[in-house]
Amino acid sequence: MPPTTLENATCTFCGCVCDNIGLEADGDRIVKTKRACGLGEAWFKNHTAERLYPDALIDGKPASVDEAVEAAADYLYQANMPLVYGLSNITCEAQRKAVALAELVGGVVDSHTSL
Amino acid sequence: MLRISGGRVYDPANGIQGEVKDICIADGRIVNDVQGAAVRTIPASGMVVFPGGVDVHTHVAGAALNFARGMTPENHRAAAKFIHSPLLRAGTGGITPTTFATGYLYAGMGYTTVNEAAVPILSARHTHEELRDTPIVDKSSCVLMANNEILLDLFEEGETERARDVLAWLIWAAKGYGVKAVNPGGVAAWKWGKDAKVLSDPVHGYGKVTPAIIIAQLAAIVDHLRLPHPLHIHCNNLGVPGNVSTTLETMRVLEGHRAHMAHLQFHAYGGDDWTTLRSEAAAVAEYFNAHPNLTADAGAILFGNSVTITADGPWQHLLYQLTGRKWGNLDVENETGCGIVPYVYKGSNVVNAVQWAVGLELLLLIDDPWRIFLTTDHPNGACFWRYPEVIHLLMDASFRRECLRKLPSRALKRIVLPDVDREYTLSEIATITSAGPARALGMPRKGHLGPGADADVTIYNESPDRGLMFRHPRYVLKGGEVVVEEGDIRKVVDGRELIVRPAYDENIEEYLRPLFEQYYTVAFENYPVEQERLEGADIRELG
Amino acid sequence: MGGKVTCTLGEVKNRADLIIYWGGNPADCHPLHFSRYTLNAKGKHVPQGRKGRTMVLVDVRETPSVRFSDIFLQVRPGKDFEVVTTLRALLKNRPVDEARVAETGLTLEQLQNLVDRMKNARFGVLFFGMGLTMTRGKHMNSAAVLTLVAELNAFTKFVSMPMRGHGNVTGADVVMRWTTGFPFGVNLSRGYPRFNPGEFSTIDVLVRGDNDAALILGADPGATMPQPAIDHLARIPTIVLDPKLTHTSRLARVHITTATTGISAPGTAYRMDEIPLPLKPILKSPYPTDEEVIRRIYEKVKVKPAWSPAAYAKVPCA
Repeated sequence: MPPTTLENATCTFCGCVCDNIGLEADGDRIVKTKRACGLGEAWFKNHTAERLYPDALIDGKPASVDEAVEAAADYLYQANMPLVYGLSNITCEAQRKAVALAELVGGVVDSHTSL
Repeated sequence: MLRISGGRVYDPANGIQGEVKDICIADGRIVNDVQGAAVRTIPASGMVVFPGGVDVHTHVAGAALNFARGMTPENHRAAAKFIHSPLLRAGTGGITPTTFATGYLYAGMGYTTVNEAAVPILSARHTHEELRDTPIVDKSSCVLMANNEILLDLFEEGETERARDVLAWLIWAAKGYGVKAVNPGGVAAWKWGKDAKVLSDPVHGYGKVTPAIIIAQLAAIVDHLRLPHPLHIHCNNLGVPGNVSTTLETMRVLEGHRAHMAHLQFHAYGGDDWTTLRSEAAAVAEYFNAHPNLTADAGAILFGNSVTITADGPWQHLLYQLTGRKWGNLDVENETGCGIVPYVYKGSNVVNAVQWAVGLELLLLIDDPWRIFLTTDHPNGACFWRYPEVIHLLMDASFRRECLRKLPSRALKRIVLPDVDREYTLSEIATITSAGPARALGMPRKGHLGPGADADVTIYNESPDRGLMFRHPRYVLKGGEVVVEEGDIRKVVDGRELIVRPAYDENIEEYLRPLFEQYYTVAFENYPVEQERLEGADIRELG
Repeated sequence: MGGKVTCTLGEVKNRADLIIYWGGNPADCHPLHFSRYTLNAKGKHVPQGRKGRTMVLVDVRETPSVRFSDIFLQVRPGKDFEVVTTLRALLKNRPVDEARVAETGLTLEQLQNLVDRMKNARFGVLFFGMGLTMTRGKHMNSAAVLTLVAELNAFTKFVSMPMRGHGNVTGADVVMRWTTGFPFGVNLSRGYPRFNPGEFSTIDVLVRGDNDAALILGADPGATMPQPAIDHLARIPTIVLDPKLTHTSRLARVHITTATTGISAPGTAYRMDEIPLPLKPILKSPYPTDEEVIRRIYEKVKVKPAWSPAAYAKVPCA
């Protein structure tokens, strides 16, 4: 696959959220960064698009995403008070859906802010 | 297809004042007639039929309001609760409702279109995210321009033509609808802790540019670009005793241009200080009545809890010093600022009592209901869901007198409301809540019930208790769908965003880019809101 | 006083001549903060950049940020609140006890000098980090700093800003505020949002064992939380969505691998000053995005019978 480039990419490693990062990718990894700091460069280069992990695990055993989604939905549905926690490293679009899900299952939703 | 049969229809835009007639709907629009077995009939005899309400000036989404939500958790605890159901999202009501609750509350009151009145371009993406989560109602937004330093620098240089292209580019970058001016020059000065109090004095940090120049230039550009909504202006010296002179001067500067004067109540005070503050609504109304180039909204206040949110940073610092309560301030680089101070209006407080009267006086003394609209500058004067209380006060002079009796006697000497006997008719209420604001916003498919209009319709049980009648519509239709029935939300539809794309010289980007890289902290390419972000937006291209 | 007097980072870049960092080490933790937004940036009204600005660092220990500062004030650990309170008193010309001031590790002279600098700044900014907000005093320290800055506005233009850490933690605050009214720790178990920090905050919920399932999104409490909280997560059905297999994944019943935010998942993230920025992915992940997986879980739950007061009404009462 030929390298692809992106100017003005946004780095979500720290709260600076610099949005002027230049990136160059070759296949499933980022090979070059411009204007990023050390932390940002490591962030971009360490997250590849390789298939390093199983799609999903149920009780430690590999499973399909469909099965895992089904299992997750059952657990959350059956719980009286589930906790939805984290949210700090996902997109706002995912955060919106996470709040909607917490509401649907009647749980607590919380981020790293509460620490 | 749907037929609303036998209601008394108030459709001021089409000259219909209480005639009994059917309203027919197909494909989300009003049509002349519908036939056949598939037609649902809503029997509306004995009921009153209005076009859906249009709010010309409200603050329901974006960085400032969301800041206020975070600052007032104690209010959410006391507020009405919106309980999750298979149909509805959870939320809290109160003085700064959550986005979903905002949509339900507006629809529940029969309002189907709202104009978010203050959007910084830099955080416009945030405003649109919230508007997407505000269901049922259609939405437009006004973009803050009167303290934009790139524009102010161009005015300083006398580069009017380039300013025009920049402004047009900025509206499209924000995916906005209109242009808002807040305390022209004053917010830019606030970045240094100063204000702009005299329209003819240069703005702090500038040699030539004055608030008057900013106002005149912006009004001229908005007219030149033929934006559907005129310049939407919040005058200098908001809330300050004696500010009537600034307001009248602003209106004189605007002669020859269209303009919308926002929350006029906060700008119609006489006196020299808080102890001598008095109503100057009569003087404002007299000038206003003689100048048909202007429209206005009331910005009425009601007694009770509120949170004041405005791009007028210096005023909010003053209010913080006066109240000693919470103060939020958020200055936005190169563009604007905003201040947030929770406030309680009390009937026993002479100043608040005068403010209460001024809002009503303006609504009653301005004689053309097509030019003055019902607002409370939500959440500044009161929450939007209290509009029915204002309607009650406007329609019932004896109720008004009853309320006046509860005010401190010192307040009564400073207002003219006790001498005003006018009572609004139903047709006039339909005008100030729907037909008028729709026309001022330049939305030809809103605010009326003629063929081709969006089928946004509100049906009330007629009642002598006007507060009750307008609080609880019997049916509300949005785009032909029955969304409210018997006081309950029955269906949740997505509202659309209304957006304007003015024409501009594409080369303006080459002018802006280097300035931008110097002054801003985000990449130029990441500044404009992406069009694909806005699903189902209604984009109007201007030639 | 409550609230916050703040601004976007460009205001600092364009105007600030006095920059205070308190309880943080930006040189290591926010490496581009100095050059993009604050100290070294050339701004509209500070065209000379670094030369036009004074930087004060307040911290309990020497960090690599010290060499960027003009003035370093080393506070004794746990004494931040006392220092801020003394500054507020000096600002109002109120008497202070020198012996009490000495307990903070700083001298009255140093603090008076700082107050003078603050009052005489043209535009001052105070950034505060976890060294202030996560140590003795916690939110009391934040409140004290926010109040100090608000009060400084009687003299000059002054703003403050927390140095938020994790990439999009600010986005989580923003989204929760507009959807529920509250910024974090929101309990929806009654069907409407309730907020009570200390009761509905994750650690409290976990340590008490209140929750009977957990969905962990892009976080690794299994590596960072107190042991009783981790034990509870292992006891209940825990579900993890993460681009990697984390400590928490290993104790979870369900793990789903997701695309990495901003690298292979598109969307929006908020900067520490609440400016939303677009995320444009450059890689195509073999895994679905968090957004997609959460949506699919939502849809699976949504088709199940809704819980409602009516459902509980069928349970006979004693």
